[in-house]
Amino acid sequence: MVGIFLFIRGKLRLGDANMGIFTRFFRNNRDKLADRHMSEPSNEKERPSSKKLSENVKYILDAFHQSNDLKIRVLKKGDAALLYFESLAEHEKIHEKIFAPIEMGHTEDVFHLPNAKQTNDLEEVVRTLLRGHAIYMEEGKKEISQFSVTSSFGRTPEEPQNERVVRGAHDGFVENMMTNINLVRKRVEHRDLTIKYFKLGKKTNTNVAVVYMDGIADPMIVQEIETRLHSLDSDMIHSPGHIEEFIEDKSNSPFPQMLNTERPDRVAANLVEGRVAIMAEGSPTTLIAPATFFMFYQAPDDYNMRWFTGTFVRLIRLFSFIIAVTLPAFYIAVVSFHFEVIPDELIIPVKASINEIAYPPILEALVMVIIIELIREAGIRLPAPIGQTIGIVGGLVIGDAVVRAGLVSNLMVIVVALTAIASFVVPSNELSTALRLLTFPLIILAGTIGFIGIVFGMLFIIIHLTRLQSFGVPYFAPLAPLSLVDLKDTFVRLPMYMMKLRPKDAHAVKPIALNPSREWKNRDEQNQSKQGSGGNDQPSSTDDTTK
Amino acid sequence: MKKYLIAGIVSLLFLTGCWDERQFKNVKLVLSLGFDQGEEGQIIQTVSIPSVSRATEGPGSESLQILSTSAHTPLQARGKIDRMIPESYDPAKVKVIVLGEDLAKQDIYPILDDMYRNPRSNLNAYLAVVEEGTAQDVISMNHTGATRISNYISGLLEAAVSSTHATGENLQLLCAELLEPGIDFSIPLLKIEDDGNLLTFSGMGLFHDKTYTGEKIGAEQTTLYMLLQGEKGRVARLTKKIDDHGKDEILDYITVSVAENDRKMKIENKDGEIAVTINLDMKVKIVEYPSDHLYVKGRIEEIGKKLSKKLTDESVDIISQVQEANSDVFGIGRRVKAYHPEVWKELDWREEFPEISIEPKVKVEIIQHGIIN
Repeated sequence: MVGIFLFIRGKLRLGDANMGIFTRFFRNNRDKLADRHMSEPSNEKERPSSKKLSENVKYILDAFHQSNDLKIRVLKKGDAALLYFESLAEHEKIHEKIFAPIEMGHTEDVFHLPNAKQTNDLEEVVRTLLRGHAIYMEEGKKEISQFSVTSSFGRTPEEPQNERVVRGAHDGFVENMMTNINLVRKRVEHRDLTIKYFKLGKKTNTNVAVVYMDGIADPMIVQEIETRLHSLDSDMIHSPGHIEEFIEDKSNSPFPQMLNTERPDRVAANLVEGRVAIMAEGSPTTLIAPATFFMFYQAPDDYNMRWFTGTFVRLIRLFSFIIAVTLPAFYIAVVSFHFEVIPDELIIPVKASINEIAYPPILEALVMVIIIELIREAGIRLPAPIGQTIGIVGGLVIGDAVVRAGLVSNLMVIVVALTAIASFVVPSNELSTALRLLTFPLIILAGTIGFIGIVFGMLFIIIHLTRLQSFGVPYFAPLAPLSLVDLKDTFVRLPMYMMKLRPKDAHAVKPIALNPSREWKNRDEQNQSKQGSGGNDQPSSTDDTTK
Repeated sequence: MKKYLIAGIVSLLFLTGCWDERQFKNVKLVLSLGFDQGEEGQIIQTVSIPSVSRATEGPGSESLQILSTSAHTPLQARGKIDRMIPESYDPAKVKVIVLGEDLAKQDIYPILDDMYRNPRSNLNAYLAVVEEGTAQDVISMNHTGATRISNYISGLLEAAVSSTHATGENLQLLCAELLEPGIDFSIPLLKIEDDGNLLTFSGMGLFHDKTYTGEKIGAEQTTLYMLLQGEKGRVARLTKKIDDHGKDEILDYITVSVAENDRKMKIENKDGEIAVTINLDMKVKIVEYPSDHLYVKGRIEEIGKKLSKKLTDESVDIISQVQEANSDVFGIGRRVKAYHPEVWKELDWREEFPEISIEPKVKVEIIQHGIIN
């Protein structure tokens, strides 16, 4: 019995020691960070604790402005106090870590509990209290013990709603960053997977992690991301979307320059390609940088399909880009400038459908596009049953009634509906919204100068795309600059065993991703040809030695 | 500075006002155009304008308005017609242009000038000449064949092209032949029959330079005429009389479908005299031959020889018609100009063409005879 206890205690101590090193490292890191840019004086200096319990308690209470959820339990008839935030700490954990060992009689002194951590710094105590620790202080002693008793409410790693796949992993990131890192580490079991913590937000003190594969990811890019994160000086950081705007290259561009994902498999794959992931506490979304335009058209499903189908859906998606951006503009240009291009067989039906519409096509299109956006925006945050009603009212009733009333031609309804569907085909929500926004300038250009307007608009968009960079990496790669090898995973999805090199745009240090993996195929073919030739001796064959 | 620039650009946006906009809903489409010879050198232009009204379900109802006016030039006529209709009409989607016979016998280029000058006109439009009638009759005819006269005529012509009866020449293809002296052309002829209810393709009208000669290759002969020009549509079927049994007329005939045709034209210059040989090698399939007995040895070769002779005779006939009309549809002049420029310089081709010797040689080889013997 005693042996077992000793064993457990020993183990506990060991674990504690490890944790101590870890937290010290963590603290150092954080303090360095604080030195660098935390301007608030109270965070900066150390405040040694006094021997008087009342002074210490008063200091802590003042630090939290007498906040009501800070609980003080007076112990030992006023000689000791246990402080914790009842909103952060878990009663069961307090019992388990502090009172249970004492009751079991291992030790009389709380300071000697194996899971306690000592400090003399009241400022540190303030910080650890905020992290959900409980602290124990005694009259006449300078040491303060801290116990980690944080309660956390986390959901289970469910499949993200916005990135569902048919085949493949069905787990997703959650709000707890440790869980997220755990999910990634489970997938990339390698010592090169490096994680760097940052504390961002002067008031929120959000934990941010930069995750990358050392030895694959370009150190310059990692350095650049770290520099940009360091220079971020804001009171509040609450999500990666928030961080994104601070560190992206061009925030005036409609195109997202970092990939958002909630899927651990996607993050893992991108890490191994040599990209860098940025995670934040409290948000399941992970940023992946550097990103290219075509990354937003890749979906995890592609890699679980056969490569023909994978290529087919890729092409469909890229085609949808063209539809989503240009179809309404094209239609408007045709019916208000260049009706010669309508095929002879269609000319009368088209004419019949738009003949008696009161408004010019450009107004028609703007009205319809805005209606679609209204329906989408109205339905997006509503609970599912009401959302369906909105869909029916919006889609069927408005769509049909608007045509019957002669306000909008039925061709325009078809065009706008197709455009909306095409914009939803993009796997990334960010790019999808960007595409819907890009439709408007093109509609206006097409309505003013026809096809020439579309050409100018597209030219402008493409020039912008080619000039755009994401962390020093060309955004429109591999098209500009052209890299034929990298087309293997953009317009098409070639078989996995042909993806021997990592994409160049990630600037991976180690370019080779896989060595020849289908050697057995050659062997089989050789065997077959040998059999086919009726067992004749073929001295040139290398397999002769096996005979 | 930047503020003014932005304000300037924004205000420009409001100024544009879509100056060259052509709203499709605001134009009247004209799908078929007709020109006739009027009095005192004027021309008569006839247009059919379909007006469609929207229906909530299914195709809208359609009504046709046929307008005719006489003027000095086609564009003047267009202006006159514009004054008769709401909105204005746009010939950008014209499918067929029909010319009356009287008008076609004069220079047709002035009628088409506007079509070539205007970048928006439809150069895919077919051209046809009405035999013994006016374009006005055709455009305004009360037909039952198709919903619109433009569909009727263009459908008729397309069918003629695919069955190797007509060349399917549109305004674009015609342009070079119209303006070049070394080559002439022929245009499909249409004829109104059955008291104005039926339109038929009645052959190819031979043109000399820019005018209709009045001579035509009859509808029966047009297939061979096309093959002699080296053109074959999707199907080329020839029905010929090769036997003379005497009892049953139907047994004398054979129908072959041309599988391959290879036309070679050889132009020789014999001391300034141009001699042309047209070799036409055809591989044909027998598709109809009620007299049968094809299994008999040598029968097929015999039929081939008979057909060769028959077709050579007919070709001589066609060529003499062409020469009589002085219509160099084979483009012999073009080749003479290219290969024998010194002869071309001395010749007046218009005078010379009817005189030169053109010798056709048709060789028929039968390669199939269907699934029965």
